[in-house]
Amino acid sequence: MTIVVGYVPTPEGEAALTQAIAEARRSSTTLLVINSSRGDALVDNRYAQEQEIQSIEDRLATQGIDHVIKQPVRGHDAAAEVLDAAEEHNAELIVIGLRRRTPVGKLIMGSVSQRILLEADCPVLAVKAG
Amino acid sequence: MTSLTTGLKGRAELGVSLLLGAAGVLVFLDANGLVTPYSKSDPVGPKTVPFIVAGMLVVCAVLLAINVLRGGKGEAEGGEDVDLEHPADWKTILPLAGAFILNILLVDWAGWVISGTVLFWGSVLALGSRHYVRDGLISVALSLLTFYGFYLGLGIALPAGLLEGIL
Amino acid sequence: MDVWSSLMDGFATALTPMNFMYAVIGVILGTAVGVLPGLGPAMTVALLLPVTYALEPTSAFIMFAGIYYGGMYGGSTTSILLNTPGESSSVVTAIEGNKMAKAGRAAQALATAAIGSFVAGTIGTALLAVCAPIVVKFAVSLGAPSYFAIMVLALLAVTAVLGSSRLRGFASLGLGLAIGLVGMDSVTGQRRLTFGQPLLADGLDIVVVAVAIFAVGEALWVAAHLRRTPLHAIPVGQPWMGKSDWKRSWKPWLRGTAFGFPFGALPAGGAEIPTFLSYVTEKRLSKHPEEFGKGAIEGVAGPEAANNAAAAGTLTPMLALGLPTNATAAVMLAAFTSYGIQPGPQLFTSQGPLVWALIASLFIGNFLLLIINLPLAPMWAKLLQLPRPYLYAGILFFATLGAYSVNLQAFDLVILLVLGALGFMMRRFGLPVLPLILGVILGPRIEGQLRKTLQLSAGDPAGLWSEPIAVGIYVIIGLILLWPFAYKLIRRNRPKNSPLLPANSGAADYSD
Repeated sequence: MTIVVGYVPTPEGEAALTQAIAEARRSSTTLLVINSSRGDALVDNRYAQEQEIQSIEDRLATQGIDHVIKQPVRGHDAAAEVLDAAEEHNAELIVIGLRRRTPVGKLIMGSVSQRILLEADCPVLAVKAG
Repeated sequence: MTSLTTGLKGRAELGVSLLLGAAGVLVFLDANGLVTPYSKSDPVGPKTVPFIVAGMLVVCAVLLAINVLRGGKGEAEGGEDVDLEHPADWKTILPLAGAFILNILLVDWAGWVISGTVLFWGSVLALGSRHYVRDGLISVALSLLTFYGFYLGLGIALPAGLLEGIL
Repeated sequence: MDVWSSLMDGFATALTPMNFMYAVIGVILGTAVGVLPGLGPAMTVALLLPVTYALEPTSAFIMFAGIYYGGMYGGSTTSILLNTPGESSSVVTAIEGNKMAKAGRAAQALATAAIGSFVAGTIGTALLAVCAPIVVKFAVSLGAPSYFAIMVLALLAVTAVLGSSRLRGFASLGLGLAIGLVGMDSVTGQRRLTFGQPLLADGLDIVVVAVAIFAVGEALWVAAHLRRTPLHAIPVGQPWMGKSDWKRSWKPWLRGTAFGFPFGALPAGGAEIPTFLSYVTEKRLSKHPEEFGKGAIEGVAGPEAANNAAAAGTLTPMLALGLPTNATAAVMLAAFTSYGIQPGPQLFTSQGPLVWALIASLFIGNFLLLIINLPLAPMWAKLLQLPRPYLYAGILFFATLGAYSVNLQAFDLVILLVLGALGFMMRRFGLPVLPLILGVILGPRIEGQLRKTLQLSAGDPAGLWSEPIAVGIYVIIGLILLWPFAYKLIRRNRPKNSPLLPANSGAADYSD
């Protein structure tokens, strides 16, 4: 059983990671960190760079959490990657960061978190930043 | 960065030599067939430069072959967005070429609007975009815009093909 | 030919609303293209070549000049802000600029790059305005033999000096010359390399060739090797500089300009050498040498100025002699040809107003670029997030559209595809593209001069060295050809250097 967390280098992503660590410690399970990118463009600020990944590694190691960090770049969107990972590893919980959106934003953008919430087979924990 | 250098690649560059040599021979044969009465006003004649070029190509072909067989290799061009670690991504290129060829076949009889749409849509699909409907709409819009734009702005009438009469 | 009054007339033309608009379009396009990965000013001008058929030459060239200069500005923005700068022509700027950005000084780096580019561009253009007529005066006295020699020198210099493999450079040149041969021989009217195809009788349209090699070839190549793992763009606010930054920047700007312009003007100069020279010099002269490698502002100011001054310098032989020394200049020359304008020394007399309007718009363009780059740099950086499928599909789309619109012939698209594949192959196997395009453009002209020379001397090959200048140039050519052998002898006594760094540089410590 694993806990999957969808990570982005933003306040929401950090909050989700912190919460996921707490959950992983509580149930002593493996933590699977997913930070994906479509790989569409040259620059994607939501894709964590080496330094950030290293600091996450260190953080998880010092806290004694059993973990795996994956950064799939396969042309799929973030929701698909998280859901795929959850299914593949039989996740018991998905943790995601939630961004406040205006009603119009929700309409045009097609929220990642909304899709995960609706399509996941397991419980989803949505965390706000701050 | 030079993981493109497997034994096979060395041989692939020989293909370049072959191409150069073939081109040289081609230029030579073609020039040979020219008729050149000696003329005072043109002592050089139309054959001279082609012969020189042909000679140059053949010499390069031979030297390149020697260079490659000795282990030399051309450096593949790099760039910001270029990742030379992996071999060429044929899954991308072949569909791209396909879209291109389709456009060539379609442009004259189906018209630019249709062929341009096929070209753009095919290209974005080949390059990995998954927003099928959105891309289709953008393709059509682009083709229409350029069709009218070129006509109204530049006076160039692209073929309307099948949509003649509607546009 | 009074430079000042011609220039003023040029300004008058360049500042008409329509031409001003084209200048604005040019600089915006140029910056965008400079920022975006995989594109470049050469490709953009090539893509726009077909459009020139519908535009006034003056407007078109004003736009091209804007694109040319704009490309430099955009390129430095990317190399400073990308967290892992790749191999681009602004690689030297990236050395210090990127470090500055990572240390939180992106705003200063961008500012010094933009202002330095402006200073260098303005001074460089002024030098162009002064030097070009001088060169023209001298060149007009040249006869066919000397002119032939100069063109051969230009070709050889680009082929044999630039690039890592001269052999491949020559191979590329050979291919280019062969492509240039296709069509009717200008003197006797006989068809060469047309294989019985009537559509080839007019030769391969230079526009189609340029678009195929630069745009299609490049797009296919990058598409085949798209970098998969995305990068970050270092976030930045509005560029600005503090007082000490200004103090440290202004001399490097001037020194960079001094390096850049002469090298840009020489046939084999290019922009790489002066930028490296500038970097090394600034490091030597700096009062803060320990900062180099960690983000020294002089290391951005000097090379950026050198870059832009070199760009202005490149235009000198291009306008004065019709000799291009880099890809963008070559494509612009193709534009001249497609307008039926003969490039060369007589350009200033036959098309004086056009040339001076062009030079005037360079000043204007420089100024515009400063305005749009300084406050808007963060916005330009956002362009880096543009999804690539649209980018490259767009390139192919417009390349096709352009090539087709030249003659409304589907056959041209076949040529586009074939030559595009050639461009791909060349990039794969390290054959430089510039000699090929120069071969296509200069080949027919060289042949023309050769035939004229021998016609004048009634078939006597001694006609080739009948003019003292021609002899001098052949000596230089001989030196260039023999140089590598001499160099090999010298190199036996030194360890092998990286091909990018001059032997005495202390810049080796930048690599992580």
